[in-house]
Amino acid sequence: MNVAVTPTMVGQVVISGILAGALYAMVALGLALIFGVMRVINIAHGPLLMLGAYTTYFLYAGLGLNPYLSVPVSMAVLFVIGALLQRTLVFRVVDAPELSSLLLTFGISIALVNLAQLAFTSDLRAVEYLTGSWGLGPFAFSKTRVLAFVFAAGVTTLAFLLLQRTRLGRAIRATSQSREVAMVCGVNVGRIHTITFGLASALAAAGGALIAVVVAVQPEMGQVWTFKSFLVIVLGGAGNYPGALLGGVLLGLVEQIASLFLTSQLSEVVAYVLLVVVLLVRPTGLLGGRQT
Amino acid sequence: MTLAPRAFLTGLAVLAAALALYPIVGTGYGVRAMLQLFMWIALAGSWNLISGLTGYVSFGHVAFFGAGAYAGAILIAKAGWPWLPAALAGGAAACVLALVIGYPCLRLKGPYFAIAMLGLNEVLRALTSYFEGLTGGGSGLSLPTLHATVPIYYAMALAAAGVTLLTYLIITSRFGLRLMTIREDEVAAEAMGIDTARHKLYAFLLSAAGPGVVGALAARDQGYIEPISVFPLATTITMIVMALFGGKGTVWGPVLGAIVLFVSQEIVWARFPYVHQLLFGAIIAAVVLLMPRGVLGLLQTKYRLPRTL
Repeated sequence: MNVAVTPTMVGQVVISGILAGALYAMVALGLALIFGVMRVINIAHGPLLMLGAYTTYFLYAGLGLNPYLSVPVSMAVLFVIGALLQRTLVFRVVDAPELSSLLLTFGISIALVNLAQLAFTSDLRAVEYLTGSWGLGPFAFSKTRVLAFVFAAGVTTLAFLLLQRTRLGRAIRATSQSREVAMVCGVNVGRIHTITFGLASALAAAGGALIAVVVAVQPEMGQVWTFKSFLVIVLGGAGNYPGALLGGVLLGLVEQIASLFLTSQLSEVVAYVLLVVVLLVRPTGLLGGRQT
Repeated sequence: MTLAPRAFLTGLAVLAAALALYPIVGTGYGVRAMLQLFMWIALAGSWNLISGLTGYVSFGHVAFFGAGAYAGAILIAKAGWPWLPAALAGGAAACVLALVIGYPCLRLKGPYFAIAMLGLNEVLRALTSYFEGLTGGGSGLSLPTLHATVPIYYAMALAAAGVTLLTYLIITSRFGLRLMTIREDEVAAEAMGIDTARHKLYAFLLSAAGPGVVGALAARDQGYIEPISVFPLATTITMIVMALFGGKGTVWGPVLGAIVLFVSQEIVWARFPYVHQLLFGAIIAAVVLLMPRGVLGLLQTKYRLPRTL
C-alpha cells in the first residue's frame, strides 16, 4: 500500500510490466496456437509449463547446467511430451464437442500435477543461479527478470518467424484458417496437429524454464498459468496470434500497476476482474478475434 | 417403459423411509458418512444441471460451495442466525455470485465460461483471506458449538433429494428440452428462437443454489471454516468425476456416480491418498474417451431405459 506514487515508481512499474508481459505473451502464444489450430482449450497448458520448470531444475541440480542453456533442452523435452499427448489422447477429441476436449485436458492436467507430486514430491525447489539487479538511472531491474524478457522475446520472435516464413508455418496457419481447405491443398492435418501441440508445449516449457530461476518450482505452480494464458488470449482476441503479444504485455502492465495500489494477495483478483470486464465490454478481444 | 413406474416409486418411498429412520439405529460414523454422501449427491447433481444439461463445463463449482459456507458461517457466527435460515441464505449468496459471473460469461459461446470458472475459485480464496474483519482471514472462522448432526443429516438429505427432484422436473420440462438443445447445437437453438443466454443463466443460477446451501450446512456441521478448507479444487474435481462417471445429463447418473465413487473412496482409495487425483484424472479421461454418457447413459442405450431416468 503506497501513499504517494512518484514518477519514478510509475516508470519502474511500466518497465516491470513489459518485462513480465513478454513472458505471458510467449506462454499464451502456445495456448493460442492449439486453440487456433484445433479449437481446443488446453487446460493442461500450465502443468506442461511446470514440467518444463522441473526439467530445468533437474538439469541444473543434477548436471549443473546453466538454466539459460537449458531453455532449448526443456523446450525439446516438452515438445516430445506434448506431441505424445496429442498423438495418444487429445487427437480423439479434436472433432468432439467442446465439453469433451475441456474435460479431457482437465483430466490430463490433474493427472500431470499428481504425477509430479509423486515423482518430484511437493517440496519447493529453487534454481539459485542469479540474484541481484542491474541499475539504470533511477530504475532497478532484477537480473532474472531482464534475462527472462530477453529469452521470451527471442523465442517468441523465432516462433513468429516459423509461422510466417516457413512451409511448416504456412501449413499451421492454413490449418488454423480452414482445416478442410488445408487438407485439400495437401496438408497432412493430423501431423500439423501433433506438431502444433508439441510447439505449444515447448513454448510453455520455455516459460517454465525462465521462471524456474525466479520463483519456487513445485507441482502446483502451473495451474494459474492456464488461466493467465487464457486471459491473454481473450485480451488479444481468440485465434489472433499477434493479439496474444499485445494481451501479454497488457496483462503484465495491469498487474504491475495494480501492485502499486493493492497488496500482492489481490493481484490474482485484478487479473480476474480484467477478464470479466473485457468479456462484458469487448468479448472479441482488443484486436478482434474469430468467433467460435 | 420396461421398468414399472409404480414399482420404482414404491422403491423410492421405501428407501426414503429407511433413510429417514436410519439416524435412530445408525452409528455415529454411519450417520456422518451418509451425511457426506448426501452432500456429494447434491454437489454432483448441481454440477450436472449446468454442465450436463447445457454442455457448459464449470471447473469452479466449489466456489459456490465456499461462498455458501462463508455466507452461512458469517450469519451464524456474527449475526446469530439459526443454521437453517443461514443455509438458505448461503444458497442465495451462491446465486448472487453465479449471476455476477454468469452474466458476462454465458452470453458468449465457447470456452470463456469454463476458464472464468477455473479462475473464480482462486479469486474467492484470495478475497476471503484478504477481508479478515469479516471472514477471519487465513486463521478461519469458528462457529459456536452446536450438536446438530442428526438435524443436519436430514437437511443434507433434503438438499440431495431436492437437487435430484429439480433435475427430474427440468429434464421432463420444455425448459430442460431447450437446455439440451443448447447443448446439442447452440446455433440451431438460437435459430429456433430460444434465448440461449437467458436459459444458460437460469440453469447456472439453479446449479449454484444447491452447492451454496450444502456449503453452509457443511460449515455448520464442521464448526470451523478457513479459505483452504472450503475452496479446494479437489471438491470440484470430485463432483465432476461423480457426475461424469454416473452419466451427465441424466437424473440418476450423478446419484449413482456419487454413491459408487464415495463408497469406493471410503473403502479402497483412502488407503492410497497419494494417487487419488491421478486416479480421478484417469477416470475423467477414460469416461470422456470410452463412455461419454457414463454408466447410466450406457445402460439407457443398452436396455432401452427411459430417458427420464
